[in-house]
Amino acid sequence: MATSAGMSSAGPSFSGVDVLPETEKHSGDPENTYILRPIFQQRFRPSVIKDCIHTLLKAELAGTEYSAEETPQLTKRLSENIKDKLKEMGFDRYKMVVQVVIGEQRGEGVFMAARCFWDADTDNYTHDVFMNDSLFCVVAAFGCFYY
Amino acid sequence: MEPGKRRTKDDTWKADDLRRQLWAVQSGGAKEEKKHREKQLRKESEADITDHKEHRDPDRDIQRHRDRAPDREARSSKENPRREGDRERYGERRKDSRDWEKERPREKHREQDAEKSRSKAKDREKEKERRLRREELRQATAHRDLLEWEAWPDRGEKKVRSVSKVRIEEKERRDEDPERGDEDRERRYRERKLQYGDSKENPLKYWLYKEGERRHRKKHREKNSTREKREKYSKEKNSLFSDKEGEERHREIRHKEGFHVDERHRSSAERKERSSKEEYRKREPESGEHRNQGAHLRRDGTGSQHAENLVRSNGKGKDSRRKHSREEGQVSGKSALRQNAEEAVEIEKEDTDLANAGVDEYPVTFEDDFEDYEDDFEVCDGDDDDSNRSDSKEKTEELPLARKREIQEIQKAINAENERIEELSSQQFQKQVWLENDKDPRADPNSSHSRAPVCGIFVDFATASRRQKSRTQALKQKSRSTKLLRLIDLDFSLTFSLLDLPPVNEYDMYIRNFGKKNTKQAYVQYNEDNVERDIQTEDIETREVWTQHPGEGAIVSGGSEERETSDATVVPKIDTPRLSNFLRKACQVIAILLEEDRLAAEPTCKLRTQDNTLSISDSASQLNTGLPFLQNRKVSCLHASQVQRQTVVSVHDLPGKGFAQPLDHRYILCVWDIWQPSGPQKVLICESKVTCCCFSPFKAFLLFAGTVHGSVVVWDLREDSRIHPYVKLSNCSWTFRMPTFSTDGILTSVNHQSPLQAVEPISTSVCRKQSFVLSPFSTEEGTSGLSFHIASLDESGVLNVWVVVELPKADIAGSISDLGLIPGGRIKLVHSAVIQLGGRLSHEDSEFWGTTQTLSIKFLPSDPSHFIVGTDVGLINHGTRQDLKVSPKSFKPQQCGLRAVKVNVIDFSPFGEPIFLAGCSDGSLRLHQMTSEWPLAQWDGSTRGHAITGLQWSPTRPAMFLVQDAASTVYIWDLLQSDLGPVATQPISPDRLVAMTVTGEPERPGGSFLALVLARSSGTVDVQYLKKQWAATQVEEIQWLRLFLQEAPTERGHGGCGHVTKAMCV
Repeated sequence: MATSAGMSSAGPSFSGVDVLPETEKHSGDPENTYILRPIFQQRFRPSVIKDCIHTLLKAELAGTEYSAEETPQLTKRLSENIKDKLKEMGFDRYKMVVQVVIGEQRGEGVFMAARCFWDADTDNYTHDVFMNDSLFCVVAAFGCFYY
Repeated sequence: MEPGKRRTKDDTWKADDLRRQLWAVQSGGAKEEKKHREKQLRKESEADITDHKEHRDPDRDIQRHRDRAPDREARSSKENPRREGDRERYGERRKDSRDWEKERPREKHREQDAEKSRSKAKDREKEKERRLRREELRQATAHRDLLEWEAWPDRGEKKVRSVSKVRIEEKERRDEDPERGDEDRERRYRERKLQYGDSKENPLKYWLYKEGERRHRKKHREKNSTREKREKYSKEKNSLFSDKEGEERHREIRHKEGFHVDERHRSSAERKERSSKEEYRKREPESGEHRNQGAHLRRDGTGSQHAENLVRSNGKGKDSRRKHSREEGQVSGKSALRQNAEEAVEIEKEDTDLANAGVDEYPVTFEDDFEDYEDDFEVCDGDDDDSNRSDSKEKTEELPLARKREIQEIQKAINAENERIEELSSQQFQKQVWLENDKDPRADPNSSHSRAPVCGIFVDFATASRRQKSRTQALKQKSRSTKLLRLIDLDFSLTFSLLDLPPVNEYDMYIRNFGKKNTKQAYVQYNEDNVERDIQTEDIETREVWTQHPGEGAIVSGGSEERETSDATVVPKIDTPRLSNFLRKACQVIAILLEEDRLAAEPTCKLRTQDNTLSISDSASQLNTGLPFLQNRKVSCLHASQVQRQTVVSVHDLPGKGFAQPLDHRYILCVWDIWQPSGPQKVLICESKVTCCCFSPFKAFLLFAGTVHGSVVVWDLREDSRIHPYVKLSNCSWTFRMPTFSTDGILTSVNHQSPLQAVEPISTSVCRKQSFVLSPFSTEEGTSGLSFHIASLDESGVLNVWVVVELPKADIAGSISDLGLIPGGRIKLVHSAVIQLGGRLSHEDSEFWGTTQTLSIKFLPSDPSHFIVGTDVGLINHGTRQDLKVSPKSFKPQQCGLRAVKVNVIDFSPFGEPIFLAGCSDGSLRLHQMTSEWPLAQWDGSTRGHAITGLQWSPTRPAMFLVQDAASTVYIWDLLQSDLGPVATQPISPDRLVAMTVTGEPERPGGSFLALVLARSSGTVDVQYLKKQWAATQVEEIQWLRLFLQEAPTERGHGGCGHVTKAMCV
């Protein structure tokens, strides 16, 4: 079975962190205030994201036949598209990792699993599987909150 | 290279030249001094580290204050661009600021001198150099952080403006440079060419070079020359090599620096502290020493020389270094080694220490960003020194005027800065240092910014700052992460199963590929033994069927299964009547055979032992009358069938003793087969005493009997035994047949009122052959078998004729109309006619006797319509059924007149002769012809007066008859042998003879037999087989009999009645 994966990650906006003021200014008060939890509205909501991914997958892959040549590009494109979509959804301060795996359906068994070392309070993931006669596509989107 | 470098803001600074000049002047024994200095430097540097912190800090602080003050002022106010530019330049050289301050006057003088001397050539050179310089700068800018350039354009421009118009132009170009970063490589190549070209082609260079040589000592000259070459190569050298070069130069420089050691140290310490990196301070003392030494030396070198020179050299150094670094990859290690070797040759032994130090230093420099930064700076310095040195030889004299001016300006700026720095409060400085320690990355770029413009090495700072930036970011993030990690808990998530696609099994794969939608393969044919396979077929249904051709019977096909056979069993049809017929016949045959076997085995002995055999017989057998129901019964009558000769019926009277049986008051008739003497064939019962009986004429299956009560009874022997009662006697069941038809109680008007004397069938069958003409219907009757008449005669002379009718169908329920018929019986008697014999007889012949008694009747075998009736008056009446007149009305005995003589028995000859015998109670025996009234012969005394009770012609011999008298004697007559008396006499004693009958079969294949059945008074029945002489038919016996019969009338005619009697008596 041929499998190709594309990965695309969107960096969080570092702006808040990056603009650490001059050393002189901060030297005075070393106490930093960190945002430890995302705003509720901007939380990573797996269900919403899953729907989004699903519709996108449906639109992209319906009726697609597996071809070893095109799949790498397809995975990349898909991952980019999904990442962009997720970014549009406005999960602020989230670092998104989108992994797309497309494999051919030839009867072999496939098992995919993921494990994360993260803060379960803020970070989350969702995944969606699309299958048709010739291929299966697994999209896993991880959202890691940037404090 | 050298000319190009001069062009820029650093152009004016002939630092190397100046330095060398100074060095030449100040230091006498360079080599020895070097060594001393090295040692000193080491010590000093060690001391420096401590000094910087402890002793010299205040001074440094002051200086810094001065430095900083203008910086801030410039940034905040931006009043004085020129000052700013100076300050920037100064910033680069801050470390050496003190040296500069002190050395300035001297350097100025020298430079001015040099410039003056070179003033003429200067302008031309400038242009060339400017070009080169531009290119170099472009490269530099390209390789250095573009950001830096962009960050400091204003300052650079200001600086340029303040310095000179030329510089402005250059700077403008430089500003453009970053945008042209793409063309760097081309430019570099061009530069290189130019440099080569410069060194060789440019006369000015050569001139300058020579000048320099002249000025310097020989040793220097040599070094320079080699250095020039080296420098050309050096562009291709790796950084390490360049460093070494640099170190070598430093060594040289150190000679010059020797004088200013103290100040240098101070300044360098300051600078370091200002740019101060914690790591730097925390570094190992040794490495720190080395580094300090190297750094100091270089700085000293620069510091000892003019500021301008330094700045320029820095710029150059950057360029060259950049080239080096760029070409490092390209340059092979070998060339580097070669150059090293060259260097090694050139380098004096004293230098080795320093070189080692340099080598030590280098790795250290890369360990830290700060060090890097410093190293960059310093190395550049070193390079600059190199180039400066070579340059200086050529250019110190080349550009005196411009340099002088620039130097002056720079010096002014430096002075100003120094003043400002001094003004700064030490506290602030300390604070700053403190902060820097905390936030180095931040501070460093600032400091580099402040310095870069001054010396033109801001590009260098850019890389450093970039590194620092990244470093600071890393640090920031690190600190951030450490802080954050305290606040958050990271944990391992569960393992998310993203996809679990089980492998498709073969069947699904098969179906996916080959199956159609909505179909499912249910079963696959497989072997029986593969039971473990989940797919199995049902057992195949098999059935065995057979068929037969051509079909026999009802079943032509069938199967092995029971179902099939059961189907088949329905089919067969059994022709029950046929089967029963067959079985009956077969049983009869078998039984007879068995009986014969038995007889053959033991008859003779049995009979002989009993001595039953009479003298007249060959053998004898005894019918088994010992059966329970026959015991104590006397046989009253015997009758043998004329058709079935072996069939004999015996009539048994009531038993003498009471038997306590239902049969006791009934009379029993037994039908025997003489060949089966063990038991009767049929047992018949009758309510009344049977006086006479007879068989049906054609087939002996009907038995007629007449009773004392005047009734005629018929038994149909064919009837199924089941319709008759059946009694089990001594473990043997016997069927006692009831009469099929009885005339008792019916037809009372015509029925007999007196006991019956005789029952005779009226048939012609016996004599058919002889008289077939007589009755046209006889054959038909014979064929039908059952159309015949029965005549019954009672004592009163009433002769009834009965028609035997066989019903077509038996009625088990019984008949309503035929009251005498047994239910299920098919034979009935229909009264046909009644003939009154007595009245007629009495009317005509017996005048005196009232009524005559009829005792017997016989029908003429040849013509059944004629019959003769024996009476008790000695006459035998002749009559017909149709009441016709017959010729002899009666047959009379030879004695005339009526006598009371009973004619007991009469018998027609069975062979068709119209003769009959009559036996009378007086013992007379008469032989009559049908045509004559008188007898043919009459034998009166043959029985000695005993009444004749039985008389019968032999069935086998026409001329023989048997006579039984009342004295229990049997007489055998053979007319051919003797017509006078019986040929044999057999008295039966002691068991008296009661009844007798004769049966025999002349045509029997095994030889004719003549059986004499004798019923004794004891109740037993014997069968005596007469001897062959009587049994066997003799040849032409009938003719002899006829002849006898013809002779008899004549004889009789002669003698008449009396005669015959007479004769008889004789």
